[in-house]
Amino acid sequence: MTGVGALTRFALRRSRVLIGAWTAVLAVFCYASAAATDSLYPTLADQVSAAESLNASSALVALYGPILDVRSLGELAMTKATVTYAVLVMAIAITLVRRHTRVEEESGRAELLGGLAIDPGAPMVAAIVVGAVVSLLVAVTAALGDIAGGLPVVGSLWFGASWFGIGLVGTGIGAVCAQLSANARTCGAVAAGVVAVLFGVRALGDTSSAGWLSWLSPFGWSTQLRAWSDPRPWLLLLDLGLAALLTGVALALRAGRDLGAGLVPDRPGPATGSPRLADALALNLKVHATSLAVWTVACAVLGALMAAIVPGIGSILDSNGTRTMMERLGGVGALQETLVAALVSVGAIVISCFVASVVGHGGAEENDGRTEEVLATATSRSTTFAAVAVVALGGAAWLLLVTGVAMALGSLGAEVSAGAVLAAALVQIPAVWVVAALALVAVAVRSRWAIAGWVLVVAFFLLGPLAELLQLPGWVAGLSPYSHVPKVPAESFQVGPELVLVVLATLLVATAWWRYRERDIG
Amino acid sequence: MKAGYGRGVNDVRENEVISVQGLVKTFGATRALDSLDLAVRSGEVHGFLGPNGAGKSTTIRILLGLLRRDAGEVRLFDGNPWSQAADLHRRLAYVPGDVSLWPNLSGGEVIDLFLRMRGAPADHPLRAQMLERFQLDPTKKGRAYSKGNRQKVALVAAFAAPADLLILDEPTSGLDPLMEEVFADCVLERKAEGTTVLLSSHILSEVERLADRVTIIRDGRAVESGSLEDMRHLHRSKVRAEVVGRVPDLSGVPGVHELAVDGSVVSCTVEPEGLPAVLTALTGAGVRTLTSTPPSLEELFLDAYRGEPVG
Repeated sequence: MTGVGALTRFALRRSRVLIGAWTAVLAVFCYASAAATDSLYPTLADQVSAAESLNASSALVALYGPILDVRSLGELAMTKATVTYAVLVMAIAITLVRRHTRVEEESGRAELLGGLAIDPGAPMVAAIVVGAVVSLLVAVTAALGDIAGGLPVVGSLWFGASWFGIGLVGTGIGAVCAQLSANARTCGAVAAGVVAVLFGVRALGDTSSAGWLSWLSPFGWSTQLRAWSDPRPWLLLLDLGLAALLTGVALALRAGRDLGAGLVPDRPGPATGSPRLADALALNLKVHATSLAVWTVACAVLGALMAAIVPGIGSILDSNGTRTMMERLGGVGALQETLVAALVSVGAIVISCFVASVVGHGGAEENDGRTEEVLATATSRSTTFAAVAVVALGGAAWLLLVTGVAMALGSLGAEVSAGAVLAAALVQIPAVWVVAALALVAVAVRSRWAIAGWVLVVAFFLLGPLAELLQLPGWVAGLSPYSHVPKVPAESFQVGPELVLVVLATLLVATAWWRYRERDIG
Repeated sequence: MKAGYGRGVNDVRENEVISVQGLVKTFGATRALDSLDLAVRSGEVHGFLGPNGAGKSTTIRILLGLLRRDAGEVRLFDGNPWSQAADLHRRLAYVPGDVSLWPNLSGGEVIDLFLRMRGAPADHPLRAQMLERFQLDPTKKGRAYSKGNRQKVALVAAFAAPADLLILDEPTSGLDPLMEEVFADCVLERKAEGTTVLLSSHILSEVERLADRVTIIRDGRAVESGSLEDMRHLHRSKVRAEVVGRVPDLSGVPGVHELAVDGSVVSCTVEPEGLPAVLTALTGAGVRTLTSTPPSLEELFLDAYRGEPVG
């Protein structure tokens, strides 16, 4: 197909920083995990006991997936990488495909390419090739990281293969989702929702009696591949088959639509504006209305689903060994509390993605010239800044509230009170606010730094585990605001750290506001 | 800039809606505006011209309080465009050269949003009239509009309620000739009602038809300012004459350029100061035919744009 080669090279070049950084972070994570595990658990008995206690905790199984062979060092070392960090592999594939298809169409740049002597389908094929190539790159570097970290070569390669499979599925998901709407943000949100559902389905399957659910998700396949002992290569065919199917669907959808159009044609809008749509805040709320609605539903559904595993936690741990260990950990109630605390901490990071998208969008508004149009009316800088800050900070609080309520309802019947579950979600608000405030400072300094929100979320997410693995000083992990949130309800509520986070967020927002009023726009 | 048609007369300044003196703006090492002067009098349509990158949009963005000046004086409605931006903007409407719309908002919603955020009524009879005249469908979503239609959304919003000042930065880019005509009519109607207009444009015929005075800038400085009539008078005319006798030697006459002799025909360009001497010499030689053409707008602008000596 004419143009695919050139467009692929062009896309790889344009995204080289993103690809390089993402690949490097994941490879370093794999290396650090591999290298650290051996020294953390020197004897086989240590390994087995660590693996069994991981398996005994539904919270950890929900987050990381189970360890099928407790005697495998590789599987223990790659616990987080097999499922949880595989989400990041899927995410890079989706991000790249969306970036080089729908984003290009929305900006009109794809039209520029359409005028060249290339096949009309070439940009789409090139984006899929990019997704596949980068998946392979990430998989190979991850495997090399494992080998360098001292894990068995064959297992490392099969583990890399599982990431390659996840990356290919991500490429397919990204390609299909990019066809759905003319709005690149909507396409991205749908893709993120699909990933969340696939992850959630596996978490439910791994932690409940409905184990078959895990077989519905590529993340479940990655665990079942048993990369480290007795690999089952045919499971990769599931990844390949699904990716091929999705790619085929995407290409068919693309062939059947016009450049720039979504599957659902744009409906006409109102001929006049609502009287309430009269200021910058109302405008920003309107711009984010769909996104906020989707996030609200997603937080409610996923919160309730994830919390539904909490009451069952006692019954699935029947063996004597786990029973004893559970008692040692503080009994069923304590386990459930730990699970709730772990679930909300993940929820906080996911909701931070909403914050990053709102603040990032604020920067894009300026880069595209729309902020200029707003500021040319009788709208002050402060109002314009507040419009972004209110949606980001208020949206975060709202979504955590929704998550908390949904989890409280979902976990009814557990030994944890609904109030404690709600509180667990609400105490996360100050940490997410600090992330939002840092992102606001970045945008206030320079609109092109709006990406900082995403960088911060990923960085803080990785900081804790990396610092632990690399045995970095305690303050490194402490850089992440999430690390200071009291682990309610497993731990008691402490007002000190919460207050510090709120004050910090306030100071940062004030700094951002001051800076935004002083600088040039555009 | 030449004395005589420049501004700076104090009694005029009181009448100025926009007053810029010695304005400097740098971006890193680039000096985008280098001691720029600009004066827009109340009630006039002021053409603002210059080659790409001359600093027109930078000037407008400083006037709108989007950029901070590095040096110089800038007054808008006798206020400070940076510190009083929001208040001053109640009195003006702005149309950028490249209108960007929100993908999920309809054109009608954007028009009303701009009007309301400006503090203007969204139900003025002008709104319906402008939609009609610009033939704009207000129910389309932002992403569905073509370049010209996005431009129309901003134009309708600007003209749909009265304003004291219109700041238009290449407002007709992407419009078809019929719509350019509608735009020109709207500007003239507003001018008749006393609205002041700052019109940045590359379309010379548009400027010639609409502008009372123009300022031409190059490399961040005003190189010409005044009415078109004044400017014409101050530039070289083309003179072509056929003489009966021997062709007089004009090469020594001050102000004569591009001299060419072809048999009994002599042609040259002459600065205003040199015209009497040239005519005397030609008359002495016995003129058979004589044409003297003032510079066309295009020539005026091209001279100013290129930075060639312009008289």
